[in-house]
Amino acid sequence: MKTPSAYSTTGKIGKSVLFLLPMLLITFVFITGGQPDFSGTGQVIGFIITYVFFNYLFFRMLYTGKTDRYRAAGFIVLALFFAFVFIVNLVRARGNMSFSDENILACEIPFCHIVITMIIIPAALTQTIIFPGSILEGFAAISLMIVIWLGISLALGRGFCSWGCFYGGWDDGTSRILKKPVIRKFNPVFRWAAFAVLILVALWAALTLTPQYCNWLCPFKTVTEFEKVTSVETLLKTIVFVSLFAALVIILPLLTKKRIQCATFCPMGALCSLTNKINVFDVKIDKEKCNSCLKCVTICPTLSLNKEEVARGKPSMTCCKCGKCIDSCSRQAIHYHLKGTPSDKKLTTARMLFLYPAFTLLVIFTGGTMQYGITLLIRLFTTGSLF
Amino acid sequence: MLSSEGFILGLSTGVVCLAYCGPVLIPYILAESTRVKRNYLSLVLFLGGRLIAYLTTGLIAGLIGMTFFQKSALFTRALAIVYILLALLMIIYGFHRFREICLGSAGKNVKIHFGPDLTAWVPFLGGVLTGFNLCPPFMMAFTKAFATGNISGSLMLFFWFFLGTSVYFIPLPLIGFVRRQKVLQIIGKFASILAGFYYFYLGLIMLVHK
Repeated sequence: MKTPSAYSTTGKIGKSVLFLLPMLLITFVFITGGQPDFSGTGQVIGFIITYVFFNYLFFRMLYTGKTDRYRAAGFIVLALFFAFVFIVNLVRARGNMSFSDENILACEIPFCHIVITMIIIPAALTQTIIFPGSILEGFAAISLMIVIWLGISLALGRGFCSWGCFYGGWDDGTSRILKKPVIRKFNPVFRWAAFAVLILVALWAALTLTPQYCNWLCPFKTVTEFEKVTSVETLLKTIVFVSLFAALVIILPLLTKKRIQCATFCPMGALCSLTNKINVFDVKIDKEKCNSCLKCVTICPTLSLNKEEVARGKPSMTCCKCGKCIDSCSRQAIHYHLKGTPSDKKLTTARMLFLYPAFTLLVIFTGGTMQYGITLLIRLFTTGSLF
Repeated sequence: MLSSEGFILGLSTGVVCLAYCGPVLIPYILAESTRVKRNYLSLVLFLGGRLIAYLTTGLIAGLIGMTFFQKSALFTRALAIVYILLALLMIIYGFHRFREICLGSAGKNVKIHFGPDLTAWVPFLGGVLTGFNLCPPFMMAFTKAFATGNISGSLMLFFWFFLGTSVYFIPLPLIGFVRRQKVLQIIGKFASILAGFYYFYLGLIMLVHK
């Protein structure tokens, strides 16, 4: 027998619409950036599709009581549109996806959040930012990204990896393609490998004063930008990051139905796991309701649950709060929780308090990009050109 | 004079030394982390190995001319081999008892044995091999030691340089105070394997470029 829903909005249209109202305003503000641009048909259509898409997702989260499947839709769209828009902008500015020594010297390389793991030690030791990007100017300025990351970490901890990271949607997407995993057993111990990567890339960056993860290992260079192949070394680098993308972002997630790159290799994921300790939200397992079926262990995409952790009543610090285990639990034993409050009461309140900032984060990162991406696609279909 | 010069040089550049030796020492301390006392013993062994490497270098610096030393292709090749040996040491150490520590019962199909347990010697060997690392502080000390023009002065400078740099290693064994020892051990094993690949790559590049 299925346990009745734990949330007061589930199955109730009126209550769901009421909770949706603030999100209607939030999405409008963040998709338009506070400055609506309806100058062309493409912009209007782009805005309408994005606006309806996100509010539909949020309404469904409220009405069905499910989180992950609707979060994943927005999250995967973020990854795809981010790559598409980023590549189009690069090609427009530089003529191709690669960057040259001149771009490095001019500090024109956009800064992504993963670099934060490598700049901390050198900044502390030498008062130098070891990344060839802009400190204050542009959409990917170093200071801006650090402030955004700090804010999100304090608010959501590793929730960033499921609600805001513009790369995570790649392996989240590929891990959902097959209905059943081909590789059924993937030892959760490999989640700690990401911490080893974090330690090493941080030390490696301090040793060479160069962000070596970006230089050599980042799989996502395949779908963003990379160094122009001008030597054996740059060719080797290209082979390394394309192979890592194929293995960690496509093949292994496909076969295991786990987010392998995020769970086992991303240094930023490991750093965000540490921030899970200081933010206010976590996921709890009600031990009285739990029947130890361990479906949550099987389904967790970041290997954050094992038998011991289920018995303890909470996932490991690597939990990225995607909500997959919560949705899968037939006994409603798993739920979002606000630290310091009773874990078995006011489940709707705790969920809503988490969903509003988390979903807003998703909209902030995706909204403008998706709208612009749709505008570009409309231009491509109507004029045959992206530019 | 030489003692204070060497010590101050070590103190002022020791953080860089820590960054160079960290990828070798930190994974070991994490992986073996049980008690702070044991960690300090590992640190002493590691520093002992480093001291031997430094004194050997001091001896060489006093004996032969630096120009010869720097231009020698043989020396570059020897360093490359040192890196590769270090890489092998770390990879073997990483996989040693990997099943027991990391995989537990789930890794019953993984069978990796490397003979008798000689893990206590890993920090000592790691210390020797990283001691020959051509990091910027090491090169600075080498230049100064060479400038002394005699063996005793060169040895003295390297000894005090060693003491100056070692100050930064003192807090590392305190990792033993962290409660989740098992997790640290697993992270240490993974880090050791990954660092091994990194040093292997460095050695290979040096061999190729000569």
